[in-house]
Amino acid sequence: MTTFLLRRTAQALFTVWVVATLVFALLHVAGDPAQILAPPDMNQIQVAELREALGLDEPIWVQYGVFLGNLLQGDLGISYYNGRPALELVLERLPATFELVLSALAIALVVGVPLGILAALSAGSRLDRALRFISVIGISAPTFWIGIMLILVFSVEWGLLPSSGRGGPINLVLPAVTLSLFSLAFFLRIVRSSFLEVLTQDFVRTARAKGLPRGVVNVKHALRNALIPFVTIAGLQFGQLLTSSVVTETIFAWPGMNRLVLQAMYRLDYPIILAFAIVVAVTFATINLVVDVVYGFVDPRVRHA
Amino acid sequence: MFRRFAGLLVAATLTLGLVHAQDELVIAFQGGAATLDPMMRNETTTISWQRHIFDNVTAFDRDGNVVPGIATSWENVDPTTWHFEIRQGVTFHDGTPMTAEDVAFSIDRAATHPMSEMRGGLSTYEAATALDVDTVEVTTTAPDPLMPANLDYVRVVPQALIEEVGEEAFAENPVGTGPYVFQDWLAEDYLELDANPDYWGGTPAYEDVRLTAIPNGATRVAALLSGEVDMAVTVLPQDVPRVEASSDAYVSQEPGLRVIYLALDDVREDTPGMSEPNPFLDVRVRQAVFHAIDMDTIADRIMSGASTPASQFLAPFNEGYVEDLERPAYDPERARDLLAEAGYEDGFTVRLDAPNDRYLNDALIAQAVGGQLGEVGIDVEVNAVPRAVFFPEHFNNGNSTMAISGWASNNTGATLNGIFHCWDEEAGLGRFNPFWYCNEEIDAMIADAITIFDAEERAAAFGAIIEKSQTEDVAYVPLHYQNQVVAVAEGLAFQARGDGYVFATDVTPAD
Repeated sequence: MTTFLLRRTAQALFTVWVVATLVFALLHVAGDPAQILAPPDMNQIQVAELREALGLDEPIWVQYGVFLGNLLQGDLGISYYNGRPALELVLERLPATFELVLSALAIALVVGVPLGILAALSAGSRLDRALRFISVIGISAPTFWIGIMLILVFSVEWGLLPSSGRGGPINLVLPAVTLSLFSLAFFLRIVRSSFLEVLTQDFVRTARAKGLPRGVVNVKHALRNALIPFVTIAGLQFGQLLTSSVVTETIFAWPGMNRLVLQAMYRLDYPIILAFAIVVAVTFATINLVVDVVYGFVDPRVRHA
Repeated sequence: MFRRFAGLLVAATLTLGLVHAQDELVIAFQGGAATLDPMMRNETTTISWQRHIFDNVTAFDRDGNVVPGIATSWENVDPTTWHFEIRQGVTFHDGTPMTAEDVAFSIDRAATHPMSEMRGGLSTYEAATALDVDTVEVTTTAPDPLMPANLDYVRVVPQALIEEVGEEAFAENPVGTGPYVFQDWLAEDYLELDANPDYWGGTPAYEDVRLTAIPNGATRVAALLSGEVDMAVTVLPQDVPRVEASSDAYVSQEPGLRVIYLALDDVREDTPGMSEPNPFLDVRVRQAVFHAIDMDTIADRIMSGASTPASQFLAPFNEGYVEDLERPAYDPERARDLLAEAGYEDGFTVRLDAPNDRYLNDALIAQAVGGQLGEVGIDVEVNAVPRAVFFPEHFNNGNSTMAISGWASNNTGATLNGIFHCWDEEAGLGRFNPFWYCNEEIDAMIADAITIFDAEERAAAFGAIIEKSQTEDVAYVPLHYQNQVVAVAEGLAFQARGDGYVFATDVTPAD
């Protein structure tokens, strides 16, 4: 287990370095941040001074060397636009994004998985068709439209829930529900299809033939096996939500890191974009590691391999 | 069942208190301050937020006049020397007295610090020195009649504190002399403020203020209509009717600084947006374009009334705005006659380049203008593209014959030098003049006007340039001013400003 973890950590660090280098290279062909930062009343000499102050006048390999050197010391540079350490800016907004994403994931799991099981057990019935129809809407309706509709109904018309900002748990309701809909519908469909697939397999038929009660067979034999691939899917969905919550954050004025990074992209604020890329790469690597470890617990075949 | 559920929800939210505390004033902006270091970002929202904590040396009032801030008066000692009298008895929020040294330090920092974005407005600055307790001397490298106005770029900061704790720490815990004291913030998200009871300008009406960022326009208005915020700054045209229809809020608007205009190539025979020789070289064709465009309809249909048809390239807020200059009337008949006189009875075909994500409803405006020009026989291919394509590919390099863009500046000298002056890379003149409009007479008038020290005389000279260029040359067809639109909860009195700044000190309880 220890060697496994060490090997995985080394792989993760390598991944982070590759991601950082790729993003660095891409950014430096995107344009000149000094030109974008400078207000129109600045003359070219002043823009050049600004470029120099930001260290953008050096050749690209020198800039890359400085960047790597700082990265090894855990320093990701100062945001051009905000004038503060970029990592600090990203990390102070990370909790808000995690809070939103984890809440959305929880809603999607708690609602989506049981509905998927329900749809599978009642396959072909009217209930099943209704659930599948709802999931199609959840997958295809655009987030910004759902968000605005929920605000119009629950905040403006009924005055029940706050429309924006991050305060108490009540502020989390609308954004988390909005963000969860896609994953919820996705989980419903995945659980339904993988459960149906397992129900037709030999070992389930054998268990039934042995005369075990239907409930025991469904839960103990079929469901456990149906949920194995689901661990990977839930992990991947977490990563997906982490980076796709930008629309939700913008609509509900949720102070998450995606909103910050979207702005940073408009402004070519390299340090923030790099800090974000590294934070996300580390998060993904961690999720993958967690998924692999969890697999060992739920699937004996992995553990004994 | 459902009604019982709704009842439960209502009970739950009532106990949670959805509506913010009654005595707190909450103002929602589109963005938030990027930094609280007042020299770093020259951007309207950032400065709006900062100016609650800091005082300007001088400031513009809502009509565009330069008025006292920390400087109470000023005089021009010789062409390159100014003396500013400093307000006495002002203290910083931490209790230390503000001195003339602090003022000189603040001016110098804004004008020379490599990370300062205020340097553009202070490009003639040479030095600032505190001569005695109530006088700061500012010298310039060349005569600059606008120095008092330029100190609107400078907010006064405590020299000793910045030198003691460092710039970064100061920006996280800013201390100023302004009407509000810093409490807490998150960059580009919110700023919590408490009234400064000792403020030299009088204690503000609201003790407790929260400035907050709600990027999405529809959400911003929803938050106002649901009572979560008291004011929504920058209401988009499509949301204006919703506010007007509500009994809980009203709209306050003012023609803004930004003029949206049509630039025409009147220089090149062979022009990139056309296959035939350039018809815009004939001034009658350019006049025809002016008469063919119906800005009232565009303001009404596309902007929901959130724009004001422009009479000239300057906004009403600008120095030199010509009160009695009228926009040429919408007169398609006259436009057709002018085209016929110029030899274009059958019209011609031209490409109109415009951004589709830079100005309010820019692509819609481009389509409307294209349609209206079509009515008089000018066949327009509208090419509305993202700003990332428009500026580098079409506008900045003159790869266009007719383009829609915008311009906003509170410094008329800069507008004239950047937009109206012949292109001169060496001198940095005409940098924003897309198709190299050039009139030697106009250039001589600009060079003369920017050196006039008498404000009234200077404004008249600026106005004469704008009027001459528009009536004789028509290189630019101003379309409209984007209005500054603020939605305000009933029970509060507030009037929007043309320069787009929003200050809690301008809000009062309605009687």
